[in-house]
Amino acid sequence: MLDVGRHPNIELMAYSELKGLEGDAGNFTAKVLKKARYVDADKCTGCGACVEVCPTPVSDLYNEGHADRKAVYSWFAQGIPSTHAIDTDHCRVFQGKRCGICAKKCEADAINFDQTEETVELNVGAVVVATGYDVFDPGKIPEYRYKTLDNVITAMEFERFLSASGPTEGHLYRPSDRKLKAEKADLEKTLAKSAKALARFEKKHGMTSKNFLVALTTNTLELTDDLAKDAEKWAAKAKDHKSKDDRLTALAQKADAVTTAKKIAFIQCVGSRDLRFYPFCSGYCCMHAIKEAIIAHEHDNDTESSIFGMDIRAVGKGFEEYKIRGGNASQITYKRSRVAEIVRGENENPVLIYEDTAQQKIVKEPFDLVVLSTACAPVKGTQDIADTLGVDLDKFGFFKTDAANPLDTTRDGIFVCGCAHSPMDIPESVAQASSAAARAVQAIMKSKKAS
Amino acid sequence: MTDNILVLGGGIAGIQSSLDLAEMGFKVHLVEKLPSIGGKMAQLDKTFPTNDCAI
Amino acid sequence: MMSTKGMKKESMKLVEEPRIGVFVCDCGSNIAGHLDCADVAEYAKTLPHVVYVKENLYTCSESGIVEIKNAITQENLNRVLVASCSPRTHHPLFSSSCAEAGLNPYLFEMVNIRDQCSWVHMGKREDATQKAKHLVKMGVAKAAGLEPREEIESSLIRKIMVVGGGIAGLSAAQALSDMDLDVILVEKTDHFGGLLQSLGTLETGETAEDFLGRVVADVQRRSNVTAYTGAQVKSTGGYIGNYEVTIDTPEGEVTDKVGAMVVATGAVPLIPEGIFGYGNKGVVSLMELEQHLKNDTLEKAGFSGQRMVFIQCAGTRNAKREYCSRICCMTAVKNAMTVKKKYPLADVRVLYRDMQMYGAQKEQMLWDARGMGIRFDVYDPENPPNVEAGKVSYFRTVTGDDVSLETDLTVLSTPLTARQGTGELANMLRVPTDQNGFFLEAHAKLRPLDFAADGIFVAGAGRYPATATESRTQGIGVASRVAAILFKDKLVKSAIVAGIDPASCVGCLSCLPMCPYEAITYNKDARVCQINEILCKGCGNCAATCPSHSALLAGFKPEQLLAQIGAA
Repeated sequence: MLDVGRHPNIELMAYSELKGLEGDAGNFTAKVLKKARYVDADKCTGCGACVEVCPTPVSDLYNEGHADRKAVYSWFAQGIPSTHAIDTDHCRVFQGKRCGICAKKCEADAINFDQTEETVELNVGAVVVATGYDVFDPGKIPEYRYKTLDNVITAMEFERFLSASGPTEGHLYRPSDRKLKAEKADLEKTLAKSAKALARFEKKHGMTSKNFLVALTTNTLELTDDLAKDAEKWAAKAKDHKSKDDRLTALAQKADAVTTAKKIAFIQCVGSRDLRFYPFCSGYCCMHAIKEAIIAHEHDNDTESSIFGMDIRAVGKGFEEYKIRGGNASQITYKRSRVAEIVRGENENPVLIYEDTAQQKIVKEPFDLVVLSTACAPVKGTQDIADTLGVDLDKFGFFKTDAANPLDTTRDGIFVCGCAHSPMDIPESVAQASSAAARAVQAIMKSKKAS
Repeated sequence: MTDNILVLGGGIAGIQSSLDLAEMGFKVHLVEKLPSIGGKMAQLDKTFPTNDCAI
Repeated sequence: MMSTKGMKKESMKLVEEPRIGVFVCDCGSNIAGHLDCADVAEYAKTLPHVVYVKENLYTCSESGIVEIKNAITQENLNRVLVASCSPRTHHPLFSSSCAEAGLNPYLFEMVNIRDQCSWVHMGKREDATQKAKHLVKMGVAKAAGLEPREEIESSLIRKIMVVGGGIAGLSAAQALSDMDLDVILVEKTDHFGGLLQSLGTLETGETAEDFLGRVVADVQRRSNVTAYTGAQVKSTGGYIGNYEVTIDTPEGEVTDKVGAMVVATGAVPLIPEGIFGYGNKGVVSLMELEQHLKNDTLEKAGFSGQRMVFIQCAGTRNAKREYCSRICCMTAVKNAMTVKKKYPLADVRVLYRDMQMYGAQKEQMLWDARGMGIRFDVYDPENPPNVEAGKVSYFRTVTGDDVSLETDLTVLSTPLTARQGTGELANMLRVPTDQNGFFLEAHAKLRPLDFAADGIFVAGAGRYPATATESRTQGIGVASRVAAILFKDKLVKSAIVAGIDPASCVGCLSCLPMCPYEAITYNKDARVCQINEILCKGCGNCAATCPSHSALLAGFKPEQLLAQIGAA
């Protein structure tokens, strides 16, 4: 990644989109829209001082929404380019509010709220399409209740939970437990505020709120004029405080009992090999699940995982060996089954209903956490990209290629690789990428010879 | 006639294509829709079978 | 044979009194927010040989770089130290900037006071500042002992030897030739095409014969491809850019020079001797079925359009051979569909462990096969199918009962295995093989087409079983990896390499196995070990191992490192 940012032959145009492509192989004119970052790339050193002072938290999509970033941000810490960007949907300045504190803080004078987007024309001889894939939205599968059960997450979300730089710093705290802790923290803040308000009354009237309430309910309160004025308000506040305090005690008890997830289920083919969504196999997810289960076990040796799949497709070099090693050393059980439904159990545990095909029986089994291995879906807007490029898609929605020339799209001089081509794993993507590069070079050399 | 090549997408495939093309002496314009390159792989914690850091 | 430009003794001597310039980076508040950069800069002024110190807001910014360059010329600096962030990200920028100002880039040194001070000791300003001073002091001590070096250059021959004339090798030859590079294609058998010659149809539906015929004809008509059949590589020598190869051909021995080599030697299907009743009538391997279909001899093999049973993972995914061979499920389904198309009433069954129909097209084949009425059933590897005359019996896990199927033809789907002779070729090329005897690439994920040794590449089933399309893709991809080297005018590499002093080397060979890049050889005549600078990547393993301190790594010699440690 770093090499890309540094290579003299690569012009990195991040935060940009292709808007048009005219001409023919050897001589295309591409229109590229460079979106405004509102941060001057020549001046920004990526130090992140602006992020520290920005007052606006925004849900961080890099962390799959499980952490917040700021309205001025870098996509991730080691991102290339390191130039930050301002999210105009959330930045206070762009919402018409007073702010601009980032601009004041930036010693490099890089923040520029007046920056505009710009369209550039590029003369290129060939195009390599490597637009990747989207993670399938499992919310579309009602029986897995992704949207309603907190502890049902996607493999990509799990990846962020495993990461030391992720929202839980690599500890497998469940989303429901994180919610609980967040609620507890919020409540503590509210209570601190209301305690202050109560303290004012207590000081003024020389009585604790508790004694005040007791006196009030037992009708033994000596009502001075002052107290009569405050009594109703004070009573309401004191009662509210007490009920919140009780709630906090209950929450704290629950929060104290929280442990990390120890029993994890992985469900394969979520959206893939499913005629309702995508008929194809997404290729990489079996190994992804195995890897995640192995890493989870590395984090905590008490972790047990079950991987539910119709087949476990460990088809690459070293994959089957890795799978066996996972089963032997990392407490992974492979279960041949397509999970029918996930329902809510006790303690926010998702309960899987499935057929245990080895035992020939229907099983209901609770887990701490369920990870959905979601399909490799064609990128949203692929049709628009294809239209802009003037190429066809295949029936699955990926870029169509010629069987004998597996990198060539339907238009001369345009080549495709990686998951834009079809679902595949990293080594295949890398090999294809080199291959598409070779085809692009050949196309340019061919058109040079022809002219 | 031009020696420039457009690469769309800055994930692992786009990165590898760009690096190969650049090393072959061609000028690459690498267009990425997000603010940084890296793609899905940059979101991964580690990769199997070597369990290397993905970044 | 090898370049010695970087190792000239006189250039390693200190030519003048060190004049060190130190640049301390605030990195905005990233460093300066957590330690006292001004204090560190003041301290640097007191260190020996330091003649110029500057604190920058951002040393890497354009103005920071200009300040370094100006100081080099105006203050006559002959060493530069930057105390900032990670050398991994910023060393190249600073050292090349030094070079632009006329200072030898090997006279640049860097210390990381961001990661190692401000980040890890956040909130302990005093301690972080103290540690930064120590690091700067150590850096200055190292810088004082730095020596100028010249980058190592070597010529490149724009010709490639491709070993193996199957679809991967043919595709590589086509692609390289299209890129105006000369190719020598070496095929051991009398025909090009490898395994594809045995196939009836490809997974794409085209007949293998048509496809192959087209590709072979195309390769043979190319003027920049010299294609040999019945030929074998006899010996190879040299290094990236300059290999010398000797090939035994039917016309006699041929010697040539090439700049890179591609290994595309393919794999062979396992013959299922001794398992599942192989050898008896009515039991064939998947490859034999493929040939029967191609030659229209199915009925001779015992199949009259009634019943056929495929058994997957025959001879693999077991204790002896752990790996999944990737392509046999697809090949079995493809052939089952061919049979079913020809004999629509036939009862065709596939007994499997996991149907490895990964990706879009293959899974679609599986849907289509099921739609045609081909039946798939899981067997238990602990309790594998038993094949007798005309009968296959097995334990059906999903229903928990024993099943007995009558069959006319039982097809054993066997894996592709490493070709015999892979080890010999690997030894000759000095590249590694894996536990299954396949060639071992440089990195399983990020460098699937490279060997760790520069200049040698791998494509196709010789690395790991691959479909025809995958092999073709890899063959084309290898062309990029090769051209990335050979399209350059010359090979230029870092002068941070090791050298062995022949005067003190006793030829103990300790360093030899430590070198991961096969850069060290033993010179029998001189009885010393020698390092090929082109192959050396400067890891320092040999220097750390050498008992007589004869192996030294440029820029990291004992006196340089000891000076640095002494300053700590």
